[in-house]
Amino acid sequence: MTSVPKPLKFLRPHLQTLKDVYEKMKDKENKFLLADIVSLLAMTNANVSGEVPESLKYRLLGSKEDIGNWGHEYVRNLAAEIGTEYHRRMEQDGEGASMNDLMDLVYEIVPFHMQHNAEPEAVDLLLEVERLDVLLNHVNDTNYARTCLYLFSCANYLPEPEDATVLKMAHSIFIKVGKMPDAMRVALKLCEQTIIEETFNACTDLGIKKQLCYMLARHGHPLKLDEGPCEVPEENLDTLQNIMSNSDLTKNYLTLARDLDVMEPKLPEDIYKSHLMDVRAPSGAAVDSARANLASTFVNAFVNAGFGQDKLLTSSEPADGSSSNVSWIFKNKDHGKTSAAASLGSILLWDVDGGLPQVDAYLYSEDPYIVAGGLLAVGLINTNVRNECDPAYGLLYESVTKENASVRIGAIMGLGLAYAGTQKEEVSELLTEVIHDDTAPLEVVAFAALSLGLVFCGTCHEDCVSTIVQTLMLRPEKDHENTFMHFLCLGLGLLFLQRQAEVEATLEVAKTLPPRISEYLQTVLDVCAYAGSGNVLKVQSLLAKCGEHPEFEEDDEWIADPQSVAVLGVALVAMGEELGSDMAVRAYDHLIQYGDAAVKKAVPLAFALLHASNPKLDITDLLGRLSHDSNEEVAQAACLALGVVGAGTNNARLASQLRQLSSYYYKEPSCLFLVRVAQGLVHMGKGLLTLSTSHSDKALHSNVALAGLIITAFAGLDMKHTILGKHHYMLYYLFVAAQPRMLMTVDEQGDPLQVSVRVGQAVDVVGQAGRPKTITGFQTHNTPVLLAVGDRAELASEKYIPLTPVLEGVVILKKNPGWVEDMEK
Amino acid sequence: MGNGQSADGGADGDGDLNRGRGRRKQEKKKYEPPAPPMRVGKKKKKTGIEGHTRLPEVFPASKCKLRMLKLERVKDYLLMEEEFVGNQERLKPREERDEDEQSKIDEMRGAPMSVGSLEEIIDDTHGIVSSSIGPEYYVNIASFVDKSQLEPGCAVLLHHKNSAVVGTLADDVDPMVSVMKVDKAPLESYADVGGLEEQIQEIKEAVELPLTHPELYEDIGIKPPKGVILYGAPGTGKTLLAKAVANSTSATFLRIVGSELIQKYLGDGPKLVRELFRVADEMSPSIVFMDEIDAVGTKRYDSQSGGEREIQRTMLELLNQMDGFDSRGDVKVIMATNRIESLDPALLRPGRIDRKIEFPLPDVKTKRHIFNIHTGRMNLSADVQLEEFVMAKDELSGADIKALCTEAGLLALRERRMQVTHADFSKAKEKVLYKKKEGVPEGMFT
Repeated sequence: MTSVPKPLKFLRPHLQTLKDVYEKMKDKENKFLLADIVSLLAMTNANVSGEVPESLKYRLLGSKEDIGNWGHEYVRNLAAEIGTEYHRRMEQDGEGASMNDLMDLVYEIVPFHMQHNAEPEAVDLLLEVERLDVLLNHVNDTNYARTCLYLFSCANYLPEPEDATVLKMAHSIFIKVGKMPDAMRVALKLCEQTIIEETFNACTDLGIKKQLCYMLARHGHPLKLDEGPCEVPEENLDTLQNIMSNSDLTKNYLTLARDLDVMEPKLPEDIYKSHLMDVRAPSGAAVDSARANLASTFVNAFVNAGFGQDKLLTSSEPADGSSSNVSWIFKNKDHGKTSAAASLGSILLWDVDGGLPQVDAYLYSEDPYIVAGGLLAVGLINTNVRNECDPAYGLLYESVTKENASVRIGAIMGLGLAYAGTQKEEVSELLTEVIHDDTAPLEVVAFAALSLGLVFCGTCHEDCVSTIVQTLMLRPEKDHENTFMHFLCLGLGLLFLQRQAEVEATLEVAKTLPPRISEYLQTVLDVCAYAGSGNVLKVQSLLAKCGEHPEFEEDDEWIADPQSVAVLGVALVAMGEELGSDMAVRAYDHLIQYGDAAVKKAVPLAFALLHASNPKLDITDLLGRLSHDSNEEVAQAACLALGVVGAGTNNARLASQLRQLSSYYYKEPSCLFLVRVAQGLVHMGKGLLTLSTSHSDKALHSNVALAGLIITAFAGLDMKHTILGKHHYMLYYLFVAAQPRMLMTVDEQGDPLQVSVRVGQAVDVVGQAGRPKTITGFQTHNTPVLLAVGDRAELASEKYIPLTPVLEGVVILKKNPGWVEDMEK
Repeated sequence: MGNGQSADGGADGDGDLNRGRGRRKQEKKKYEPPAPPMRVGKKKKKTGIEGHTRLPEVFPASKCKLRMLKLERVKDYLLMEEEFVGNQERLKPREERDEDEQSKIDEMRGAPMSVGSLEEIIDDTHGIVSSSIGPEYYVNIASFVDKSQLEPGCAVLLHHKNSAVVGTLADDVDPMVSVMKVDKAPLESYADVGGLEEQIQEIKEAVELPLTHPELYEDIGIKPPKGVILYGAPGTGKTLLAKAVANSTSATFLRIVGSELIQKYLGDGPKLVRELFRVADEMSPSIVFMDEIDAVGTKRYDSQSGGEREIQRTMLELLNQMDGFDSRGDVKVIMATNRIESLDPALLRPGRIDRKIEFPLPDVKTKRHIFNIHTGRMNLSADVQLEEFVMAKDELSGADIKALCTEAGLLALRERRMQVTHADFSKAKEKVLYKKKEGVPEGMFT
């Protein structure tokens, strides 16, 4: 009772008397005023459940004078009581309960809160009485940001229908105050095509429209600009299309690289740094040199990704100075050549114009493995980038129907990579045919399903769904034993990525399938559909599945397979919001402790999904421990996971941890291979790339990137048949998720603009008083700069105004008209 | 278990120390993978919980629906964990498994164990130990010993034959510290404090509210104060107020007198301070009350005596603990002294002591209040005019008033009366005031 005037404090013991007096009082005027006082005093009384809270009751009887007169404490208390009373009436009378008197009060309280910097409280009250729409009338330029930030953060934790309401409210507030980039963020979070299109169309300013295109391109959700609902005028079409299709990605990336002076290509040895390793490590002997070369191929591909030059494949002179003219590709065996040829694609990543001619030669090779690699390279080059001539489809579609299985897989995988997330109908037609073909080998069909899943990820595309389901039913029993049946299931799952309840019908169908794949498919569908939702009930059921200890014979290990998927599922579901992902790590601790082998081997991969490109100390420690596990599968998964967790960070600690691991596993070629791959991943793009699915202040998750990571994680569940077998090129699926972790500033014409920015640790400022700092421990740099996980940037001066509040990726800057150059300097 | 070189370490014992590069060249060792890296000797901050198992922090700190939703989410996950672990335990109870492992470890440890102290850690698997008898040994460290618990100087269990380290002995909290904890709340409450309203409010704001309602400070956007110092003439109620705080709070209350921090051996004083704050941190939220802080907190000066230097070092440790590099969470410090001017300025700077609360001699109103408190339970005769004493110009502190009342009561007892008369009070006052002025002739300085 700090805000109560002193004399009133002494009235406190006489509350009951006052109430009695009130009942008897005749005089109207005084009766109102007394009710006010009783209402205030009743604040200190505990409410009796099932009755109208007293303070509220007397407030309604009172003089209805300005609510702010009695101070904040009183208003807060009233707001709380309105909430309780609202629920009480709802319970008592159901939907039709009369709330008019309460609502009148709410209309009074909300503006009071909004004017007094208490936006969270206004939102809370309106959430309680389910009238968020009231908010729209009270937001203005000064309080919209705090209000929406609060709404946006609440959405993650509200139950299902409510979260969409809250987000839509935030969206309309942003539209009202004309903050289109913010509105687009919310629209992308809502993930509804119509709202995204609406937002895009609502924006009239060309500069901001360009910014929106950058955002959509980063999110992997391009809109059609030449036709349909989002058609733009002819004169702007080219520029916008150009941005939307990510064509500048390679240019920007190389600008960043040049600015940071990392253009010099690196050799795998530069990454291994074996000279730093313990001298005791023996040399030579017992090394599978094919594996070592393959590892080098991958390391080379990851490290020099996107730079357009390296020392193994593209350089004209031999790398090691020796006179051997043999191309690096031929230092690999059989299927190794596929990966080697494809690695050229990753080196030329995103560079469609410059890259395709270099790959062209491979397509006419006589060696089918090399052709396959070439096709894959074509796909890699076009990953996340679209070109108006659409070269990828032209180059790939013929090979899809070739005889040789490797060539077909190369072409199919290439298609999947090149058109991930684009929903291109031609691809679907082409791939459906392959999937329907019962004569095709299962591997080919599985890759086709994966590609289909990538291209149409999260769309529930009906034709694709029915195609895969039919195939699942029709494939002979014998095929069910093959690992690639799992990838067929995964392809189906990806179609339903994040679609939540829409998966139900297909789930029912899955129950009718033969037992060997039925449960597996159900789990996959469930996991994919609820990925990123943070749905606690799903986590619960998945954990329950992980906790089972099925008993089976030696040959029936497949019974435990759904469990592994469930483990990954916990990570997928929880990754939607930060608290969940932190708590999931705790849950995994128990899984390690109690789980069976099938559960344990999936745990490291789950960490990789949760913390892609985010090497937190406790996670790397845990993975480090698991990488020495006596169970080989766990150790292998942990090695790969270490790579994904540190991908593109150049983390020195992780690098030395991996070096140690490489000497530890010197004798085991498969583990060593994975450690090498992990080393390559840690230095991915020489530290300029990230595999993280989240962007825009960790608020948005890119579906396509997630799909890429999921496929790799699934491949990691059965290393023997995939990554350590013939299909190591599945690692290239990671490139779907790869994005430069940069902040690049451009002027309105799209030319790079150097400004100084502060980069520091992001601080969660939701609901904090005043104007808290959004970053801490910052350093000032000139753009372009690298942003680590959890970093946030802000402009150092007010000379320019950014068109988007979140400084990530490419940001357009506008001159600040109010800026006056300091004359003295 | 991966400790590759343990075999040769055991075989050539001390010789291992001087193995040179030359020797390794001669015999090509058979390759064995080196042991997984371990964290040895770095004593982790004892919060009891490891990093990744700690609960995530929930923002915002102010009361709002978002916070509630977030906390509920955390709760949901915890419930799921509970359910999961519960189910697993039902399938295979933990005790069973633990018993298996325990018996295995016991077997390896061997029956009689001896206690030694770890002198030095050589590498992951070897260390030098000394036993109480004297000699030092170069011995193996068993792989099942928690390396993070080992640090030079700690007590370890040794195998009876080969003296290998087979376990650690947890070093307990200094028993001195556990004595300081106030288990039984003192009887004095705020009601027993006469006057001092302002001081009570200040100390409540600085000490109690941050522990009970941290969100209030967050709302305003300030950091709550870390500590307060109470100062004023003797007998003005500093200790009494601290007792009242202890009485009213549910936080752990540790009390220590400045003189206790002065120890016989070099380094013991600072160590005690460290222990004190570590315990406070472990049991947080907690309040540390240091009475008579001038015993250690006097201004620094060049001193030749080792004893004085030791006292100064104790104070330096105190400075560091109060606002040093490690952040103290919910630990609040209350200090009391009656010679604030002699304290070191570093101790009093904001950040360590954010509030200085003065306890003045009571004014008329307060005196009346104090008289009422002390005479409240006394049997007074009708002629007693307390007003006379209240209005008198003598400088009476709270303690003086208490002494005066007690003295008056004793005088009444002497004469076997059941009531205390005004005359008793007058006589008692003279006596008390005379004692206070210690023979200075009356009227000279007043």
